[in-house]
Amino acid sequence: MVSVEGLRKRYRHHDPWAVDGVSFQLEPGQAFGLLGPNGAGKSTVVKIIAGLLRPDEGSVQLFGADPGNPTARKDLGFAPEEPDFPKFLRASEVLDYFASLLGLDEAERKRRIPETLQFAGLDGERRQVRQFSKGMKQRLGIAQAILGRPKLLILDEPTADLDPLGRRDVRALIDRLKDSGVAVLLNSHLLSEVELVCDTVAILAKGRVLKEGTMAEVVPEGRTLEDVFVELVQANAPPRDQLPSFISDKDKS
Amino acid sequence: MNGTLAIARYSLVELSRRRILLVFFIIGALGILGLGVGLKVIYSVASSSTQGGFGPNNVDPAVFNHFLELLFLSYIFGALGVFGLLIAYGIGMTAIYHDLDSGAAVSIFSKPVSRLAFTTGKIAAAVAALLVIMGLLAVEARLVMFLFGGGLENALTGAVLAVIGNTIVVMLLVLALSTWMNNIVAAIVAFIYYDVVAGVISFVRNLTDSGVIGSGIVKTIFDVLYWLVPHELISSATGDLVRAQVAIQGGRGSTAIAGVPQASTTGDIAWWAFVVCLFCGLVYYSVRRREV
Repeated sequence: MVSVEGLRKRYRHHDPWAVDGVSFQLEPGQAFGLLGPNGAGKSTVVKIIAGLLRPDEGSVQLFGADPGNPTARKDLGFAPEEPDFPKFLRASEVLDYFASLLGLDEAERKRRIPETLQFAGLDGERRQVRQFSKGMKQRLGIAQAILGRPKLLILDEPTADLDPLGRRDVRALIDRLKDSGVAVLLNSHLLSEVELVCDTVAILAKGRVLKEGTMAEVVPEGRTLEDVFVELVQANAPPRDQLPSFISDKDKS
Repeated sequence: MNGTLAIARYSLVELSRRRILLVFFIIGALGILGLGVGLKVIYSVASSSTQGGFGPNNVDPAVFNHFLELLFLSYIFGALGVFGLLIAYGIGMTAIYHDLDSGAAVSIFSKPVSRLAFTTGKIAAAVAALLVIMGLLAVEARLVMFLFGGGLENALTGAVLAVIGNTIVVMLLVLALSTWMNNIVAAIVAFIYYDVVAGVISFVRNLTDSGVIGSGIVKTIFDVLYWLVPHELISSATGDLVRAQVAIQGGRGSTAIAGVPQASTTGDIAWWAFVVCLFCGLVYYSVRRREV
C-alpha cells in the first residue's frame, strides 16, 4: 500500500537532512505510528507520501505509483497538521469542493457531506472558515480526509487542538477504519494515544529512524512507550538543562 | 475536468466574498455615475443660464452636449484603466497566494487533482471575476452615456476591450509572481515591470517613431526592447476621441492628434496573445514547482 525506501529530503542545499534514510512499509488494516520530537521529520515524511513534497533521494510508492501522480492519491485521505481551508467558504462548501476534487457525483456528495459534517460536529455551522477556531479547523481537516472513504488515512497530529470528546471520536474512528481494512499512518506527540491505537511504530529523531517495530517489539514488558521514546530521543540529543539558569539558580535572586 | 470546474467554481465564490474587490467595484461604479451625472448637471446649469448657445462663441447646445459626452468618455477611459488595474492586482494577489499562504493548498494538493487542473481552474476563475466586474462597470458607463444622447458606444466598447486585455496580462503576472514570493512584493515587482519598465520602453519607442528622438541607435535598441515586454493594447477609440474633440473645436488643437499613440496593430494583438499564453505557462510552472 505504501512503500518508503531510503527516503532523504532537505529544504535547502546547505541545510541538514530533514529526513535521512527513512524506510518502512504500510499494509492494509495496519495502524502505523510515526513518533519523534519537534523537527524530527515526521511531517516531511507524510507530506512526501501525500505528494506535496518531492524527495531528494529514495523512493515512495503510494498504491504502487508515484505520489506526485494524481491518480495515486485517489484513495488517500490526509488530515494535515494545523489544517486550513479557503477562508471565505463554509464547512459544507469546503466539503463539497473537496468531494468534487475526489470525483464524487452529486448524489454521493449529498449523501456523504451531511453525515461527515455531523461526525465532525460541524452540522448547522454557517460561519465561514476564517471565523473557525483551531479545533473546528482540525475537525474539518479530519472530515475532509475521510470524505473520499480512503484506503490510506494519514493523520498528522490529528488531536492536537481537539477537546477530550474529539480525541475519543478520533480514536474510535481509527479503530473502525482499521477493522475495515484501512491503513492508518498516525503522527502524534500523544504517546498514550499512539500506544492505544497503533500496531507498529517508528521513532524518528533528526530525520533518522531510531527504532521501528510492532508495539510489543518496541515497548518491552513493564515499560511504557513514553519511557522508550524519552530514552531513545535523549540518547540521540545533546544534554540540556531542564530550566534556564535565571530561573533555576535561586541563590542569585 | 471536474477538478478544474470545482476549483474555478469555488475560487469564484471566494473572490466574490472578498471585500477589497467589492470596495473597488463600488468606488468605480459610484465614480462613473458621479462623473456622468456631474457633467450632465454642468450642462443643465449652463443651458439654463444661456440663450441660443454656449459660451462666447455661441456653441450649438447639441454640439456642447456631444462635447460633454466626449469629455465623459475620456475620463471614463482613464477611470476604467485605473480600476481595471486595481481589480487585476486585487485578484492576482489573492487568487492563488492565499491558498498557498494559509495552508489550504496542502489539503487541496493531497486530493487527486493535478497542478495543471488547479492552475487552469484558478486562472479561469480570476479571468471570469475580472470580466464580470469590468463588464458591469462598462454596462454602467454605457447606461450613463444615454444621458448625453449616445453615439460613441463603439468607442467605449473598444476601450473596454483594450483595458480588459491589459488587465488580464497584469493579473497573470501577479498570479505567477505571488506563487514565488509574498503577494505585496509580487504586486510591486509586477508594477515595476509592467507599468514602469514596459511603459517607459513603449513611450521612448513612440518618441523615436514620431521622430522626436532622431537617433538611429536609440530607435533600434527600443525597437528590440519593445518586442521583449508586454505591449499595452490601445484601442482606436483614443485617437477617434481626440479627432472628434478637435472637430468640435473647429479644427483647433489638431497638432494634438499627432501625439496620440497609434491603435494596436494585428502584430500587437498577436503579441498580447503570446504574452497571455506565456504568463499562463509561467503561472503553471510556478504552481507545479511549488512545494507546500
